[in-house]
Amino acid sequence: MRALLRASLILVGAALLATAALTCLLDSSEALPRRAQAAAADFTPIRASSPQQGDGGDENLSIGNDTCLGCHGSPGPTLTLENGDILDLYVNPADYAASIHGQKGYACVQCHTTVGNYPHPEFKAASLRDASLQRYTACQSCHGLQYSQAADSVHGKALASGNQQAAICTDCHTAHEVKRLNDPQTHTLLPSARASIPQTCAKCHFAIYQKYKTSVHGAALLEESNPDVPTCIDCHGVHNIEDPTTAAFRLQSPQICAKCHTDEKLMSRYGISTNVMNSYVADFHGTTVTIFEKQSPDAETNKAVCYDCHGVHDISRPDDPITGIQSRKENLLARCRKCHPEADANFPTAWLSHYEPSPEKYPIVYYVNLFYKLFIPGVLGSMALLVALDVGRSFYNRSREKQQKIEAAALPKEAPAVELPPEASLEPPPSTTQEAPGGESAVISEDAALPLMEELPEVEAQESDGEPTSPPPQEAEDETRAQDTPPADQPSQPQETSSEPPLASHDEDQDDASEPEGDEERHD
Amino acid sequence: MSLTPEIVKPELHFKRFSKSQRWEHTLLLFCVLVLLLTGLPQKYRTAGWSQYLLSTPERVQMIQQIHHAAALLLTAGAIYHLGKGILQLARRQLPADIFPVWQDFKDAWQMILFLLFLSKDKPKFRKYNFEQKVTYWFIFFGVGILIVTGYILWFPEVVTRLLPGGVIPAAKLAHSSEAIVLAVFIVVWHFYHVHLERLNLSIFTGKLNEEDMQTYHALEYQRLTASQPESPESGGEG
Repeated sequence: MRALLRASLILVGAALLATAALTCLLDSSEALPRRAQAAAADFTPIRASSPQQGDGGDENLSIGNDTCLGCHGSPGPTLTLENGDILDLYVNPADYAASIHGQKGYACVQCHTTVGNYPHPEFKAASLRDASLQRYTACQSCHGLQYSQAADSVHGKALASGNQQAAICTDCHTAHEVKRLNDPQTHTLLPSARASIPQTCAKCHFAIYQKYKTSVHGAALLEESNPDVPTCIDCHGVHNIEDPTTAAFRLQSPQICAKCHTDEKLMSRYGISTNVMNSYVADFHGTTVTIFEKQSPDAETNKAVCYDCHGVHDISRPDDPITGIQSRKENLLARCRKCHPEADANFPTAWLSHYEPSPEKYPIVYYVNLFYKLFIPGVLGSMALLVALDVGRSFYNRSREKQQKIEAAALPKEAPAVELPPEASLEPPPSTTQEAPGGESAVISEDAALPLMEELPEVEAQESDGEPTSPPPQEAEDETRAQDTPPADQPSQPQETSSEPPLASHDEDQDDASEPEGDEERHD
Repeated sequence: MSLTPEIVKPELHFKRFSKSQRWEHTLLLFCVLVLLLTGLPQKYRTAGWSQYLLSTPERVQMIQQIHHAAALLLTAGAIYHLGKGILQLARRQLPADIFPVWQDFKDAWQMILFLLFLSKDKPKFRKYNFEQKVTYWFIFFGVGILIVTGYILWFPEVVTRLLPGGVIPAAKLAHSSEAIVLAVFIVVWHFYHVHLERLNLSIFTGKLNEEDMQTYHALEYQRLTASQPESPESGGEG
């Protein structure tokens, strides 16, 4: 019951498809029933292509292959095309039977949908190529995804722009001898198919094939049937082959190489480092390329990508004795010179060759790095520490000064400063030093007091201010705040000091100026 | 004379930097700013903001051209600075104030003791204190390294004719590390000392007022005032 339902559904779908096709083809209306029938037959393979139904597929067909092969199964029938090309209409039955379509029992009319009856409708083509171009569209009905991918590919675009030689389905897959390429279980390429791919591309891209054949990848594939190395399609894609000459392809090309070369499992078989991509990206060529790839994928750049150094199709082992870029520096230099024409023998070593700098490899780089690793925390860190201490100390001092001022206001006169040096006698207002338990402000104010007394003895009392950075004598008169106490203390003092202290104070001045050691001693 | 009480006394200023020195500093400031702004995006290429700024080859090229132009300007300034120094040295007119002397180490030690509350005294300084000398020489050598490595990176083909290739990646590393060191140094050390500790604009005005001179450069102040005729009885020369 279900099968019947399906079949009817398929028929309806096929009819729809057929009408659509008809409007396009602009064929005579009398062909409608036949076409619909043929289209119906044509459509079944989509279901039939599943393994179970594949063999039974041809039961639905109105015209068996034997019918076609009755004429086309032996050499003879040809068609002369408009330009005089002769189209051979012979199909070797054995070849077709061996093809994947033949094995699965697909009928001729599933592709040749327009020739269901005899005599065949007229077929016109300007040339053999034109005939192929007319016919290859048949693949689309079953292989729609691949067909549209190919249409968007570099080949499809070339075709659309008028290049008739651009590859179409049958150029790679053939028309009647289509081979199985995928393993039906794993959906990966069969080993036999892998080896055939470069040969397939070589039909058009022969010069590139010649390079590839001798490359480290090509040789391993063609000589050892190594399943790990890339064939053409691993880098270029299968049906969605991109134009490899665009800026976009260039920018994303490192990702193609990275697919395999960052695969730990794969690379470990050959002892190849997987750090190559990271070390490439870490260097400025790689950094720039990977950023442009993200930010402006179509940007033109001459920054080196993998293949600029390692080659595009003629990739060889870096340690190859003849072509290696590691074993023979002149090979690498030649690559460098493509962008750096003035480069000389030393130049290639400017590139770290994917190495991490170490004492053995690139010691200069290693030690410069080490130097800054120590220098930054060591020197800058200690400078930051000094600044932090400075902040702490000046904050402490400021808050102390405030406190002292408050105390000075509260306790104007008290115990004399006993620890004052000899000049202390010149300083009648002891209130200044008394509330400096640390003594720090006392010492400084004492120093500061000297110029005061020397030049402006009448305001010398100001030092009760207690400022460690005492005001210069010229400005002293401005600072008359909170100075009422000392003058009251010793009103006659200013006169005394004015006569004696200058000498003493100047001695002190001189000491400071001429003998810094004296300064030092006092500190110690 | 010192005894004559003066009610109004004009604020004294002491000349600290010559006009040429002030211009040199301004040029250095401008160049360093431009070089940092155009250099940092090139260094931090993996950061989002850098990729946003330098998203196309044209932009990278432009920022490199600005960087190179500022570098040329800075090089001109450096040559002028060195040339002037050499000329002054030849004429025996080179002021020695900026050169480090043993006293600076003692001052630094004293400063550390002071900052650690192990001493009550801040050291007294001459024209340039040890912090200012550190600033000058740190930037002197930092800019020197940056200029040398910068030209190595600019002309790698020429440099590798004479030197091994490893110099290029080493210069690249040194250039970008030193730039960061210098930037951090300027922010942490220089900005603190001229902006936060106290606002010191003498490099722009060329002079320092008397109070600051006494507070921060007491020895220099004493030297200058001692030789002035206003204080003859001080016997400064004795």
